[in-house]
Amino acid sequence: MNPIIFNLEKLPDWFGVLPEIILLVFAALVIILDLFVSQKKILAAVSLIGIIASGALSLGFWGTELSFFNGLILTDSFAVFFKLLFLGVSFLIVLASEDYVNSFRRLQGEYYALLLLATTGMMLMAGAGDITTVYVSLELTGISLYALTGFLKDRKSTEAALKYLLLGAIASAVLLYGLALIFGITGKTGLGEIARAVQAQLSGSASVSPALFLGLVLLIAGFGFKIASIPFHMWVPDVYEGAPTTVTAFLSVASKAAGFAIIMRVITSVFAAPDWLARDWATVFAVLSVLTMTAANIVAIPQSNIKRMLGYSSIAQAGYLMVGLAALGSSPFPGALAGMSPAQSGVLFFLASYAFTNLGAFTAITIIAQKIGSDEIADYAGMGRRSPLLALALTFCLVSLIGIPPASGFMAKFYIFRAAVQADLLWLVIIAVINSVISAYYYLRVVKVMWLESPPSAEKVPSSALPTVSLAVSCLGVLALGTIPGLIMKLAEMVNQFMP
Amino acid sequence: MLAGYGLIGLFFIAVLIFSLALVVIPVVLRYLGIVPARPGGVKQSVFECGMETIGRTWVQFNFRYYYYALVFLALDVLFIFLYPWAMKLRELGAYGLTAAFILVLIVIIGYVYAWKKKALEWK
Repeated sequence: MNPIIFNLEKLPDWFGVLPEIILLVFAALVIILDLFVSQKKILAAVSLIGIIASGALSLGFWGTELSFFNGLILTDSFAVFFKLLFLGVSFLIVLASEDYVNSFRRLQGEYYALLLLATTGMMLMAGAGDITTVYVSLELTGISLYALTGFLKDRKSTEAALKYLLLGAIASAVLLYGLALIFGITGKTGLGEIARAVQAQLSGSASVSPALFLGLVLLIAGFGFKIASIPFHMWVPDVYEGAPTTVTAFLSVASKAAGFAIIMRVITSVFAAPDWLARDWATVFAVLSVLTMTAANIVAIPQSNIKRMLGYSSIAQAGYLMVGLAALGSSPFPGALAGMSPAQSGVLFFLASYAFTNLGAFTAITIIAQKIGSDEIADYAGMGRRSPLLALALTFCLVSLIGIPPASGFMAKFYIFRAAVQADLLWLVIIAVINSVISAYYYLRVVKVMWLESPPSAEKVPSSALPTVSLAVSCLGVLALGTIPGLIMKLAEMVNQFMP
Repeated sequence: MLAGYGLIGLFFIAVLIFSLALVVIPVVLRYLGIVPARPGGVKQSVFECGMETIGRTWVQFNFRYYYYALVFLALDVLFIFLYPWAMKLRELGAYGLTAAFILVLIVIIGYVYAWKKKALEWK
């Protein structure tokens, strides 16, 4: 029944998690160094070296299709794509945190170490081949992020961390229940084995057993918490507002991307066959997508705090991404779910574009907040005159979030919507486009405040070197993906998932 | 598959009957007048429930208990992982020894951290 998994090159098991091991070693190193070294700048440097080393090792697994630890860990181009995305994001976050971390003096080592640990968890999520790995890596990420959220130790930050912890625990419980039901029905824990068992049970029948369907719905709910789709988004505004801004950026980009990675691993590939089952969950994603986009865009309009506004904006972006998931499920191409479908490459491209865009926006906000000490949109008045380059960068990122051509957001939405139209989801695309227009209102409001209103003081907003570098890289990324999208798109089209 | 759970079901039913019987039998015996009702201090005392508390239980505990519990927990988990390793020590060989060593090292890093951060001091 179970085909024995051969490791083609007879590699030792630990070899498959070498990038993660390296990152863990560097996280431990940061903790130890923090205890004995008084010069804290070195911690950021060590973290950056660890991230680069781990990224270089991950790159070596591109195109391989191997499984390690009896299928617990898979390495394929899908995992590598996401690992590089997470590492890139945490690299930019470490750069952007330089000033910010210096301002809280204590606990600097813990900050970098937890960031690396969260990244490790996400990398394991991308390469999970078994529901046990899925859960353990999800918790590693989650617990690190709960701690990071409460880092400021003030009232709002603590409240945010507690809310995130409690709601995260509930989401974990829901997810576990779903996993348990699916295990109960199929009797397997490996993702490939589950896929085959589901296929065997459902072939010939036209309906799914209620327990399996309940399990599937609970999985979507559990992962929906991770990607912050409505109605599992309750934690987002408070957590985004209370958490340190750099952590908010990390949450909104890496954590969300990890959620989509795990959804594409566990739901869209495992439950891909038979066709009608795929259409079932595609419908669920389509409905969630409409809810998420519409509600988030409307609620974002009256927000006065820019972190809260970007929180709702990131919920809305998850809605656009779920259009891609819906397209993935109702794709007319046979075998499209094994990878190589326009919907999957569209989602991957969108995630890459969104990572650069949102990181840029949050880095700009971090730099500005560092100076003016406020996250209120009204306080951004005249930022265009106080700090033209910073305001320009933020404007560019917001324009990209709307989806206007020179920026990458346009191409990202274009690819996803094209895939959705090909999958006969024109109605969903129309709703998504209407939503993009609604979203322009609240994004452009910030732009208007920055450029057209007069500043309260003529004082310049200085920014230190490393965060500026991070911001510049993000903006260049947005520009590059927007003008030569073929570059990443070629890669995203090559990405495929390996299921032993 | 369901038949496999049948034994567990039977067990549950037996448990249910047994625990209900334990409650019902004394009541029935009392009702029939077989057992006399003679309440006393010893009979009504806390039975097999530990010591009686001294003072109120709603006092604040020193949060350092929590540190100690946490630090101890790490060691506890380490032992859980070391047991199966120790049982298969010979078969696992050098690979197992290295793995166990790394595991201990990770916990030691945790203890060094706790020690340097003064979590082990009672002040």
